[in-house]
Amino acid sequence: MRVSLNLVKKYIDLPKELTSKQIAYDLTLRTVEVESVENTSEKFHDIVVGKILEVKKHPNADSLKLCLTDIGEEEPVQIVCGGSNLYEGEFVIVSKPGSEVYWHGEGELVKIKKSNLRGESSFGMICGATEIFLKEMFPPKDEREIVDLKGIDCKPGQNIADVLELADTILEIDNKSLTNRPDLWGHYGIARELSAIYHLPLKPLPKFKMPEGIKKYDVEIKEPQKCQRYAAVEIDNVSIKPSPLWMQAILINTGSRPINAIVDITNFVMIAAGQPEHAFDKTHVEGEKIVVRNAQKGEKLELLDKNYIELTEDDLVICDTKEPMALAGIRGGIKDSILPETTSIVLEVANFTAKSIRKTGKRFDEKTDASIRYEKNIDTQRVDDGLSLALELFKEIFPESKITAYVDNYPVKTENEIIDVPEEFLNTRLGKTLPKETIERVLNDLGYKVEYAKGNYHVTVPVWRSTGDVYLKDDIMGDIARLLSFESFEPVPITMSVDHAVLQRDYTLERRIKEYLALRCGFNEIFTYPWIDEKYIDASGANKEENITLVAPPSPSEKYLRTSLLPGSLEAITNNLRYFTEFKMFEIAEVFKKGEYHPSTEEETLPIQEKHLIASITGKDPQKLFYELKGVLELMPGYVHMEDITLKQGDKPSWADINVHLDILLKNKKIGEIGLLSIKTMNAAKIKRTNVAVLELNLDKLEPLDSRTNNFKHIPVLPSVEKDLSVLVPEEITWKEIENAIKNRVDSITFIEEYRGNQIPEGQKSISFKFTIDNKETTMTAEQINEKMNSIIKELNRKCKATLREE
Amino acid sequence: MKEKLTQIKEEGLQKIDNAKTLEELQEINKELTGKKSALAEVLKSLGSLNGDERKEIGILATDIKTSFAETLKAKEDEIVESKSVVSENFDLTIPGTKVLGGTMHPITQMCYDLNDAFLSLGFEVYSEDDISSEKFAFDNLNFPEDHPARQSMDTFWLEGTEEKSGNERLCLRPHLTGGSVRYLLKHGAPARFVYPGRVYRNENTDARHERAFFQYEALIVDKNISFSSGMVMIQTILEKVFGRKVNVRMREGFFPFTEPGYEIDMECLVCGGKGCKVCNHNGWIEVMPGGVIHPNVLKSANLDPDVWTGFYINIGLDRLVMMRYGVDDVRLFHSADLRFLNQFK
Repeated sequence: MRVSLNLVKKYIDLPKELTSKQIAYDLTLRTVEVESVENTSEKFHDIVVGKILEVKKHPNADSLKLCLTDIGEEEPVQIVCGGSNLYEGEFVIVSKPGSEVYWHGEGELVKIKKSNLRGESSFGMICGATEIFLKEMFPPKDEREIVDLKGIDCKPGQNIADVLELADTILEIDNKSLTNRPDLWGHYGIARELSAIYHLPLKPLPKFKMPEGIKKYDVEIKEPQKCQRYAAVEIDNVSIKPSPLWMQAILINTGSRPINAIVDITNFVMIAAGQPEHAFDKTHVEGEKIVVRNAQKGEKLELLDKNYIELTEDDLVICDTKEPMALAGIRGGIKDSILPETTSIVLEVANFTAKSIRKTGKRFDEKTDASIRYEKNIDTQRVDDGLSLALELFKEIFPESKITAYVDNYPVKTENEIIDVPEEFLNTRLGKTLPKETIERVLNDLGYKVEYAKGNYHVTVPVWRSTGDVYLKDDIMGDIARLLSFESFEPVPITMSVDHAVLQRDYTLERRIKEYLALRCGFNEIFTYPWIDEKYIDASGANKEENITLVAPPSPSEKYLRTSLLPGSLEAITNNLRYFTEFKMFEIAEVFKKGEYHPSTEEETLPIQEKHLIASITGKDPQKLFYELKGVLELMPGYVHMEDITLKQGDKPSWADINVHLDILLKNKKIGEIGLLSIKTMNAAKIKRTNVAVLELNLDKLEPLDSRTNNFKHIPVLPSVEKDLSVLVPEEITWKEIENAIKNRVDSITFIEEYRGNQIPEGQKSISFKFTIDNKETTMTAEQINEKMNSIIKELNRKCKATLREE
Repeated sequence: MKEKLTQIKEEGLQKIDNAKTLEELQEINKELTGKKSALAEVLKSLGSLNGDERKEIGILATDIKTSFAETLKAKEDEIVESKSVVSENFDLTIPGTKVLGGTMHPITQMCYDLNDAFLSLGFEVYSEDDISSEKFAFDNLNFPEDHPARQSMDTFWLEGTEEKSGNERLCLRPHLTGGSVRYLLKHGAPARFVYPGRVYRNENTDARHERAFFQYEALIVDKNISFSSGMVMIQTILEKVFGRKVNVRMREGFFPFTEPGYEIDMECLVCGGKGCKVCNHNGWIEVMPGGVIHPNVLKSANLDPDVWTGFYINIGLDRLVMMRYGVDDVRLFHSADLRFLNQFK
């Protein structure tokens, strides 16, 4: 919302030394966020009134004229101009060299210089309205029309902003900070806040007294819950003419467009008092009666552009005896327009409730200055302010006008909220004891009535705050705190009682896993969206039956919420392959599946939500990738202090290579999978010329340990014997079988490598490993060691058909 | 004889001094002090001298021997000290071998920094699931029935529930605040906890707007505390993030779930509060909303608002991370682009 300080100052005398910057700061801290402060006259610098003394033909251009113009300087100046309405004695607007204008009303601002046009010098420019931000005030009839200041009191050389009363300071207020304050959607409300902030008197709005003996206008309200009040005034003897300059200026500076004095008055009242108003041409109201009712099924409203909108029984409409004329509080139809020949009007000053306005407005996707205000819930008493202000203005602008009929149909009145606020409550929540006088002053300044008795403030809330904004003692406390400024309250240290240590093993486990993967294993943590392009779901081989879907997805192909983190990783791998050939990534995030889950209450049923971990290694050699990832997984429990996991081949995951996949088990229950991506999945995800090892597991299933489980073992007194061995075994023999065959005969056994190659016979592979034999009591002799070795080799041969590899 | 000895000494010391390697030095040692050395010859011939001369020459020769031994040792030390395990052309400018390292996401890093600070103040870390219901995301939090955020255009509603309401209408949570009531229902009051997480809004994205972004919310619920105690939490956060005192201001703000609500602005670090493009020329940047928990929210959590009170602080983590590193496009956080993520080692 744009707030004009000129208009605010009609209602409050602000000290001269108070800068607009300070006002903006104080309002921001205490009331609403002022986003910027604009000096409206700045853009009119060096743009002045000129009087054309002489118009001559341009010797070298038929379309141009030479205008000798008095711009208030010692000598008149020559200006070359192509305007279509130039005449001698005309008062025009001259942009002098140094001013900035829109050249032909378009593009960026251009700085005017002394120039030479076809051999004739020109001191600046005589302007059209679009060139100098005045198209609202002087709508041009044709492209070459310049602004004629006929009828406006001015002298050559005067700055145009002063002449047109456009010099103002505008506070641009963030509308979001106004949502809960219907009283601030008019300048009077802002003035009231300033009067409270600076403790200055607020001038009353005019109180119009309706003359006696006026005929009653006929207004019927069929929906008092939607229309709580409807005042109608029939005014004769008005005409279509421009409104006074001061009013036009305020309308322009606050972001609306002057139209004619009748419409301008209604718009001005809305801006000033926050009360929307509407003027109907009297002759349009058939039957001289206004009916406020719900639309009937199939009814239509004809718009100004001759289109129709379909109405429903929910829509509140303003009708005459025949048909709807307007959508209440939102927009008018063709019948409520003011015409060039309008001479008498019916002025509507009404109160519509927020709910109905919002519902209808939402259906037509329409927000107007009126509906924005009604949507906030306005008090019914504001009709009095709006009506008085409007009738004062009609009297001033149309002295010959006459009120011929009037009604104030007022079925529902906004009641003041009454709240008891214990003094002790204020002292505790504010963190300090404020003098009674301060509390009363602050509340009185804001319009509250306060009676203090026995440690209690009995507070009557003003009606303009009683429509849902203030209804709790906390609201009153908030008003006191903000008005004195939050910063005036010293931070009060928080005291705490320490009764237990904060020990959160699940949190710690997740953090350790992230740190293990990132800092120890070299993975990069990624984040992907929970919605995922279905092509990656398809690539992962998952069916989409279990997926939850979004009503309004970011794009049509992204309606599915993930059931696994794999599709997101596939996309991330594909994208990163453009820049990297080898990388490791992980993500921890939630996945979602259809199902039932009650995290907080029985009444609330949410789908299944699991926190998953995915880790992947991308590179060339699939075997190496898999073993590396397997190593990361196998060492993880020790580093992150969690219950150990085991691996076992199970059913092939949809995404995995037919040979390389294992289930991840915790206490014999499957919690995840590890494997290589299948060629099919990689093809579908466009992962080319590379391989990927992946593991995904359900993080919620992991069990953090209460403490460490490692047991201390004595460091052997005697050196143990360490031996390397390479054996040839048939291809089908697994490492596990070799390990099992000899593990009872050795103290520890460690795999070194698997090898196939020229020296190895077809159908066989070489396995190298090392093992240690402990010296329990005495140092073993070479003979004893040999004996042990022989028994091991024999056992390997018997169980695994292993032979010693010839070196 | 004396002259001969002087000559032996001078020549010997000269040789030692000229030695370049340990091997050479060993040779010299043998030559100067061995059985066949000139000095040994002199010592052998001592017997043929008379008493006084023998004594004098003997002392002299012994001195020379000692001098040789000392000088040899000194030379040996000198040579060893000058020796290197590599060639003298070893290139020190070649970068060190990289330790294999990955990264945690900059958002995670920021989150853990904040957790550390809050854990030290006795807060717990809590998290709620991403999918929530209208009941918890809006109703419990005192959002008016026709609040615009409840509409599809702002919140990601789930298919099949969009026509329902309350407990049965489900969405990707639009903020973290719903989690506060979940925690309080489960654990009661007093309470002191933080709940970081990702939230979702249905909006058009650009460099400053995302559909999925991160918040960090903290809540204290206790008896008889003042709203101004919230300042303690704010200072904790900012000092932790920026490592020094940052000027803040607390101003009026409105949120359905607070009364009073406030906005915390931080002095713009780019221009030092003078006004620049980043802060929209007003010197202040909005960093976190907060406020006193609304009585209706406490009621939703089965707490008596006449007994309990408390306050929220909610931080936009993305914006804070952007300020910390100067990141200028919020969409990078979900890009999974390693060229971006690798920068946060």
